[in-house]
Amino acid sequence: MTEKKFAVINPCKICQPMGAIFALMGVKNSMPLIHGSHGCSTYMRFQLGRHFKEAVNVASTSMSEANAVLGGEENLKHAIRNVSRIYGPEIIGVTTSCLSETIGDDVEGIIRLFKKQNDDLPEIVPISTPSYKHTHVEGYDSTVKALVEHLATSSKPNSKLNVITGMVSPGDIAETKKLLLEMGIESIILTDTSESMDAPYDGEVSFVMSAGTTVEEIKDTANSFATISLCKHANSAAKFLHDAYGIKSVSPYLPIGLQSTDEFINELCKLTNKDIPEQITRERGKLIDAMIDAHQHNFGRKVAIYGDPDVVVGFTRFVLELGMIPSIVCTGSESKTFVEDIEAVTKDSKHKPVILAPGDLYDLHQEIKKSKVDLLIGNSYGSRIAGAENIPLIRMGFPIYDRVGAQRITCVGYTAGIRLVDTITNTILDRYFDEFGWALNEDTEVDHGDFESSNCIN
Amino acid sequence: MVLNLDTENRKTQNGNNCDDFDIEVKIPKSIFEKLKSIEALKARESQMCISGKDDSIPTCDKNSTPGIITQRSCVYGGARVVLMPITDAVHLVHGPVGCAACTWDIRGSKSTGDKLYKNGFTTDLQESDIVFGGEKKLYESILEVHKLYSPGAIFVYSTCVVGLIGDDIKAVCKQAEEATGCRVIPVQSEGFKSFNKSAGHKLACDAMLDYLIGTEEPEEEHPYSINIIGEFNVAGDLWGIIPLYEKMGVKVHTAITGDSTVKKVASAHRSKLNIVQCQKSSNYLAAQMQKKYGIPNLKVNFFGIDETTKSLRAVAEFFGDEEMIKKTEELIKSEVKNLRDEISEYKKDLAGSTVAIYSGAHKSWALVSAFGELDMEIIMSGTQNGKPEDYQKIREHVNEGTLIVDDASSMELVQLLKEYKPDILISGAKEKYLSLKSGVPHCDFNHDRITAFSGFQGFINFARVVHTAVMTPVWKLSRK
Repeated sequence: MTEKKFAVINPCKICQPMGAIFALMGVKNSMPLIHGSHGCSTYMRFQLGRHFKEAVNVASTSMSEANAVLGGEENLKHAIRNVSRIYGPEIIGVTTSCLSETIGDDVEGIIRLFKKQNDDLPEIVPISTPSYKHTHVEGYDSTVKALVEHLATSSKPNSKLNVITGMVSPGDIAETKKLLLEMGIESIILTDTSESMDAPYDGEVSFVMSAGTTVEEIKDTANSFATISLCKHANSAAKFLHDAYGIKSVSPYLPIGLQSTDEFINELCKLTNKDIPEQITRERGKLIDAMIDAHQHNFGRKVAIYGDPDVVVGFTRFVLELGMIPSIVCTGSESKTFVEDIEAVTKDSKHKPVILAPGDLYDLHQEIKKSKVDLLIGNSYGSRIAGAENIPLIRMGFPIYDRVGAQRITCVGYTAGIRLVDTITNTILDRYFDEFGWALNEDTEVDHGDFESSNCIN
Repeated sequence: MVLNLDTENRKTQNGNNCDDFDIEVKIPKSIFEKLKSIEALKARESQMCISGKDDSIPTCDKNSTPGIITQRSCVYGGARVVLMPITDAVHLVHGPVGCAACTWDIRGSKSTGDKLYKNGFTTDLQESDIVFGGEKKLYESILEVHKLYSPGAIFVYSTCVVGLIGDDIKAVCKQAEEATGCRVIPVQSEGFKSFNKSAGHKLACDAMLDYLIGTEEPEEEHPYSINIIGEFNVAGDLWGIIPLYEKMGVKVHTAITGDSTVKKVASAHRSKLNIVQCQKSSNYLAAQMQKKYGIPNLKVNFFGIDETTKSLRAVAEFFGDEEMIKKTEELIKSEVKNLRDEISEYKKDLAGSTVAIYSGAHKSWALVSAFGELDMEIIMSGTQNGKPEDYQKIREHVNEGTLIVDDASSMELVQLLKEYKPDILISGAKEKYLSLKSGVPHCDFNHDRITAFSGFQGFINFARVVHTAVMTPVWKLSRK
């Protein structure tokens, strides 16, 4: 096999509209509407449904050949009218597709005029998400930005903290909310899928999002004292709020593992002048305890990590803390931030990972063949590499369709860190040790000598 | 008797005897209450009907209403599902990354050999390609994947945006074919081309007819060779069918396209008979092969004991070989012998249960007979892509009083489930959670299925899966 440079084989990314829907799923009483042909909405519903194990409703303007020639204005207006009447959302997020972007429909203009002519319509937010540019991560980012851009209005200070979570799981958002609550910080989460995409059974289907950030809360983001973006690739809304309303904005690493969570908690303390509550200190101590219990099994093990840029950076830093070696890191985005972040978190390590950005799972597989790793961390799409190379895979990120519980898989915060240490260690034990915990003969070579331990203990 | 809406009581009242399970179904008014006020949705009432009252079928094969959450997919999706199971081919999606990323490896078609088809190949078009055209990138990508994999063929699918920017994928494919010596087959499947993804099925069949079938000779000529058309080997369905025919002395040359190779499909024109399983996607292909190569075709159905038996006999009768007919009868006798005993335990629990189907058009009528064998009753059947002939077929198969529905939106589906309270919904992944969240057990008969349902053994699997869905204690525990 040779290097390739033209085609993408087994993508490690999806298109912008997917990220847009992901963000809109965290807005209460919202309905995403894709301006395009109905394959887009259907296939995304399919992917999101099988990941979250929830009914996902995404409307489409059902564009056809005639619209492609004559423009999609009528379809768009029809769709807005119908979505409003049938599903009664409080807000419609209209995301574009490659089709509507290419024919050049002026979505924003059409919506502005249509709203003016009809005063019974809900909030409508146009979001430009051409599928031939960037990835789902940027689609998520533009959507959160579009939401605050269109809705945020300055009135009186609310002493709340805006938190942009990025494309993490409902479990991660729940954990973030728990930490904020323990710190006694009132917050507005952008956007909050913790309930809508991990909904209790009650015999009912909600066609608009059953829970999440309210329109009122989004409006109120202009009155918060600061915005913290947990994903550096999802901080456009924070920048906008800073530029438009002077709201302080910070963007630390996604709080995965010890140091990043420390930094997140420290940021919270700095922003609010609050002290770290005893409960959080205890959780932190438990994470360190778990890391101590596990270190004999994990130290020197090589890991390949792939997926969304901020998640990969977070895990890279975390596995270094565990004494593991992040051999290969891969993301679908062509992101300077990603490369800089990887370089920053590995700067004290002798082991410089191979960075694939942009890379696909073909590239990842080729690298793994070159330098064998002991563990894979990433979404379900890596399962075939895991099978082919006989390497265990810890499923993390999006999409996870071949296991249950994706909505509850958590990586953010100390408590999630504890579970992750256990999961990683037990996975290593299952694969490389016998039932008494003795290393198996077929064990891959573990690098004990070359590791500079100072890099992960500060 | 009017349909009893209390699932629990209905079971008790009807016991295990479904003969007296006489249902008068009405289209619930509440479904339209919300929709009625909307000008564009008035037509929805005409897209449903009750079988038996007159000869009517729902109006169908119309554009979906913008904004209604249709269960439909696109033309590209339609083409891809038909061709994707060709195992040693590269399926290269010429378009932005999403089209490939969202449909890569989503249909559980299994393979005995090559796994190349399970990879997601795309040209990943970028903004500059949209401005300056993507032909060069496509050409280079074809050459590249050819170099990496030496595949049996490269199918190139065009997507919405490719149709708009006007890339001449036919010319590029031709040029790349000359450069590589590998078959490079264009599939003009722009997503917006039609609201009905059946157009994509037809395009896929045309691609095979124009570029593949008839271009190679089979390694051996068998007097009783057949192709199974419209069988995509989802969850290994095909493997429940092939051994039965082989035991009869029939040689299955290939399925088109389940677990197939480029060579096998290319030499399918020498087979003596085509049997057509999915009659939605593949009748057209069978008809064209008859026209072009004089291969006759039979419609078959491997779902359920009776239908499988009929489908085996039909082939034996077609060939008219005495020895084969004898072998077939012996095979059926031995296969069916213990089968009814094996399903009887499931049947005890399932008898009298009601079923709703919302799936591809073929399944909306082809599953009816088998449910009868489990003493289950279809009370609703529908599809998102039905044409008049499909609804005619449903009418022929279902009992009087069955609701027939075209292109139901997700809200409409949920309201129908709530009104009719079927004991199970048979559909695909998009409807799965609409169903489960409404408290209606669900059986996936589509992409995400992991259990083979075809043939005799498949029917036992199916009975088990349905039994599991209906009988799981969680439904009793979750009742409010």
